[in-house]
Amino acid sequence: MNVLATALGHVDYLVAVALFLIGAWILVTSGNLVKKVIGLNVMETSVFAFIVTTGMIDGGAPPLVVEGMEGPYASPLPHALVLTGIVVAVSITSLALVLILRVKSQFGTIELDEIVPTDEVRGAEDSDAIGGNDD
Amino acid sequence: MSPELVDLRPLLAVLASLFCAGAVFAVRHSSRWRAFWSLAAAGIKFALVWSMLPGSLAGKVYVYQFGELLPGVAFGFRVDALGLFFALVSSTLWVLTTVYALAYMRGSHSLHRFFGFFALCISTTVGIAFAENLLTLFVFYELLTVCTYPLIMHDENLAARRAGRKYLVYTLCGGGLILAGMVVLYFTTGTLSLAESGILDASAERAGLLAIFLLLIAGFGVKAALMPLHAWLPAAMVAPTPVSALLHAVAVVKAGVFGILRVIYNVFGIDLLRDLGYADWLAMLAGSAIVIASVNALRQKKIKARLAWSTISQLSYIVLAAALLVPLAALAAIIHIANQAFAKITMFFVAGAIERGTGKTRVDELAGVGRRMPWTMAAFTISSLSFMGVPLMAGFVTKWYLSMGALQAGAGLYVGVMVVSGLLNAAYWLPMIYQAFFQPVPGDEKRDPQHRARVSPMMIAPVLICAAYVILLGAGASAPAMPFSLAEAAARFAFELEVPLE
Amino acid sequence: MIDWPHWLPLLAVLPLVGGVLTPLLFYRLPTAACFWAASIAALTLAVAVALLVRLLGSGGFGYAVGGWLPQYGIELRFDEIGALAVAAGFIALLSLVFSRHYVARAVDPDRAPLYYALVLINLGGLNGFLVTGDLFNLFVFMEIFSVSAYALVAMAREPIAALAALKYLLLGALSSLLVLFSVGVVFAMTGTLNIADAAMRLDASEPMPAALALAGLAAGFAVKAALFPVHFWLPDAHAAAPAPVSAMLSALVVKAGVVGMLRTLELFGGAGELLQPLLILMVWLGAAGALGGALMALVQRDIKRMLAYSTVANIGYIFIGLGLATASAAAGAMVHVVNHAVIKSALFLAAGAIIHRTGLRNIDDLRGLGQRMPVTCFAMALALVSLSGVPPTAGFIGKWQIALGALDAGKPLLVAVLVAAGVIVLAFGIRVINALYFRPPARMSVATATDSPASMWLPLVILAFGCIGLGLAGQPMLQFVAPAVQGLYGIVP
Repeated sequence: MNVLATALGHVDYLVAVALFLIGAWILVTSGNLVKKVIGLNVMETSVFAFIVTTGMIDGGAPPLVVEGMEGPYASPLPHALVLTGIVVAVSITSLALVLILRVKSQFGTIELDEIVPTDEVRGAEDSDAIGGNDD
Repeated sequence: MSPELVDLRPLLAVLASLFCAGAVFAVRHSSRWRAFWSLAAAGIKFALVWSMLPGSLAGKVYVYQFGELLPGVAFGFRVDALGLFFALVSSTLWVLTTVYALAYMRGSHSLHRFFGFFALCISTTVGIAFAENLLTLFVFYELLTVCTYPLIMHDENLAARRAGRKYLVYTLCGGGLILAGMVVLYFTTGTLSLAESGILDASAERAGLLAIFLLLIAGFGVKAALMPLHAWLPAAMVAPTPVSALLHAVAVVKAGVFGILRVIYNVFGIDLLRDLGYADWLAMLAGSAIVIASVNALRQKKIKARLAWSTISQLSYIVLAAALLVPLAALAAIIHIANQAFAKITMFFVAGAIERGTGKTRVDELAGVGRRMPWTMAAFTISSLSFMGVPLMAGFVTKWYLSMGALQAGAGLYVGVMVVSGLLNAAYWLPMIYQAFFQPVPGDEKRDPQHRARVSPMMIAPVLICAAYVILLGAGASAPAMPFSLAEAAARFAFELEVPLE
Repeated sequence: MIDWPHWLPLLAVLPLVGGVLTPLLFYRLPTAACFWAASIAALTLAVAVALLVRLLGSGGFGYAVGGWLPQYGIELRFDEIGALAVAAGFIALLSLVFSRHYVARAVDPDRAPLYYALVLINLGGLNGFLVTGDLFNLFVFMEIFSVSAYALVAMAREPIAALAALKYLLLGALSSLLVLFSVGVVFAMTGTLNIADAAMRLDASEPMPAALALAGLAAGFAVKAALFPVHFWLPDAHAAAPAPVSAMLSALVVKAGVVGMLRTLELFGGAGELLQPLLILMVWLGAAGALGGALMALVQRDIKRMLAYSTVANIGYIFIGLGLATASAAAGAMVHVVNHAVIKSALFLAAGAIIHRTGLRNIDDLRGLGQRMPVTCFAMALALVSLSGVPPTAGFIGKWQIALGALDAGKPLLVAVLVAAGVIVLAFGIRVINALYFRPPARMSVATATDSPASMWLPLVILAFGCIGLGLAGQPMLQFVAPAVQGLYGIVP
């Protein structure tokens, strides 16, 4: 199974890697939370594309056992994997969007650098203090 | 090799006061029950430890082991002569300290915490004394740190917190050093046992041996207040007097010194150390510490500060004696654990009694105190004479054997150190005694209706008993069933000698 | 009974199904949902124990899902690493019991059944992750416990929770993608997804793609495990989450990253030379994490953030141990995975009980609480001491073994790092203990606090005693993980 060694020159792998990097770039550099999620989605897509193409064989037939179909078949497994992966990706994206909504309602913005961090340590109200705090 | 007997007593000795400490915590606010359980902790321990003395003198070694913590390292106890000696000293003094503390601390706050941890301290100290291996020793050693910390912090004011923090920083870093040393030691030898006289041998790498020596000595040296690592001890004098007694005489510094003795005699062994020559440096360090600390003591104006510096100097006697690596000096080292403990605890008790009786804490306020508290000051006199090395007192025995040992080791210089130190001791104790007895009571105090200080007999009795013991240790050192013979056995074991010393 | 083969899939299926059913069965019935979830967790724990007994009796064993042969279908394996499921079930159970009163205040009551559902799903994902022998399945279970963990962090009412959860999610998803990508590469190279099978086919003959896959897996799992310097999501998330969730995150979810790393090491055992740079990197990053995490913990004022940074430090220890690749260090690291889980969950639950009873989370505000909440504070103190690695507590075993391993590997400087980090940890432990016991109260809510109900202090006390008990059980645990160590680096010592 020396697929990868020969295929590193393959354009599909290169595209997948390029997409992955673009997505990562958006995810890391963008200050907008929605754009970050979009970056994440681009990355996910690139990985799915990569996995799907690993199952491909030049001139291979669809892996269906019906009349007239003869090997070599393309590997069906990556498709199954990617389907699962898409489900996971959807759930992550939806959770992220819900969280962004909550951030928006709490801080009034979805730009990371506009979010004013509230006191991380919320000390008790001063009315709670007992006198004689010596140091 | 001495016969080993499996015996439950070492374990019971540790557990008994653990249990009593739990009871002290549990009764919380009943002072009567608190006193009962505190005394029970001290008393049971005292009885258990002393009950092992005859057997140990007859050459038996009590062991009790359970549970392997690490491959080859069990959690175990082993009562050999050196360990039992240390345990005897501390458990005996513990009874007295507890009685004293019950009187001294009356009316203070958070007493259940104080006495609970107080009882825990003795549990851990005996654990240190009986530890079969370095790891068990280390466990109790660290526990001792943990248990003494609340005691030092007892007043909960700024000074106490500072002292407590300093104490912790020093001792925890020391603990870290010991741990690192243990790792290297275990890596080199595959064991941490203290059952032999020397588990290392010359085949190990030099760098490793040096690392072990430095790490372990520095680690234990922190608690032993060995000179460059001593700063926590004078700071910790802000603690209540019974705690000072605990720090200076009974448990803490003694645990450190005991650790150093274990490292020298049981980890390295005499022969290896003699080959390596590391001990010479240790001896020089200790020798200079004796003198420097004494000079510092001379400059102190507070009674307890002077006592603290004196402790630093006296502990260096033990380290020096151990580092000379000859049998007579070893005897001096071991016996001085007891001698210093009894004399110093007397002095702290006296300082506390003076503070409670008259409110005086400074050296220059002592005028006439001897007339107001004659018995107390008499005890103080006895122990200061002991520190000066006057014959018939405990301190003389140490100085005698230490000087003999120094000559045996061909290091006559240290005899000079003894003499200088004796003189310095005289220089800082005698003026106090002179003032107390021979200077008149200041006029305004005379008119005070409470002229004769009223101090609870529960505080005076321990003072007198300790002072009597100082004389007993000096005058009757070689009487049978005295700790001295045990110390001799321990020294013989370290040097693998069959015949009695001398 | 114990040999019944279907116990193994039950380990994951039981909590997953139980979790999915929770909101359906107990909509608006938070108390019933809690009992339900706790019983499911207890059953899962029982299953895990049964599996452990079988493992102790007859060694590791597998299970072919659906009866397919391992090469084609999904294989589950129960080995020494998978035995972590016992700890997972145990801690999840205690966290659920703890949640009974805690959640009422920390989480919107309407969402409480959802909370329990997510905890169970998280447990199911973890268990599946621990026992799966299939690479893609590994990814799926990882996503199950990760997504439920993101959601659990967001459950808290803290204003920062949503943002912390989002940060956690973005980084977590990125790391998951790295893992998935690497799984794809491994599949392309070997044509199999079975870990054991792939491990045999992977060798250094194709260094480029193998290195790529290794780097992707290692980076992905390092993020999940919060290895320095990709730990920055952790303090926010762990501090913001509800306390029982923090306990599970620090104790288990982060450790899943470590387990992932272990599986990676197994997978690439045949390509030993490729592992070398990774192992060296793990040691250095681990050392930086151990020291940096401890120092950061020292300067925190929020008690939960302090604990979170201490997790970073402990992950550092574990990675040092794994990276040293000597038998003693790796065994120590594995034991520390369990021991730290118990210690840290005790600490987070204690912190949760304190926050629940007083509403305070700043260490300086907690002064004098030792008098008011004796049981909770005692458990906290015990666990803190254990955390610093004082023998004979649970924290000691791992550090000792790792230090020995450092000497074995000829890196004595690491011993100094370990000891220094231990002393720093003890220093902040003492700081907390000081505040709890030796300072007068500074807050009314401390002065009027009362100790937590039994459902909170009981799990705490059990875990706190676990901190001691595990310390005494060091030797059998080291023996137990020894076979797993042998399979790690492809070298049989």
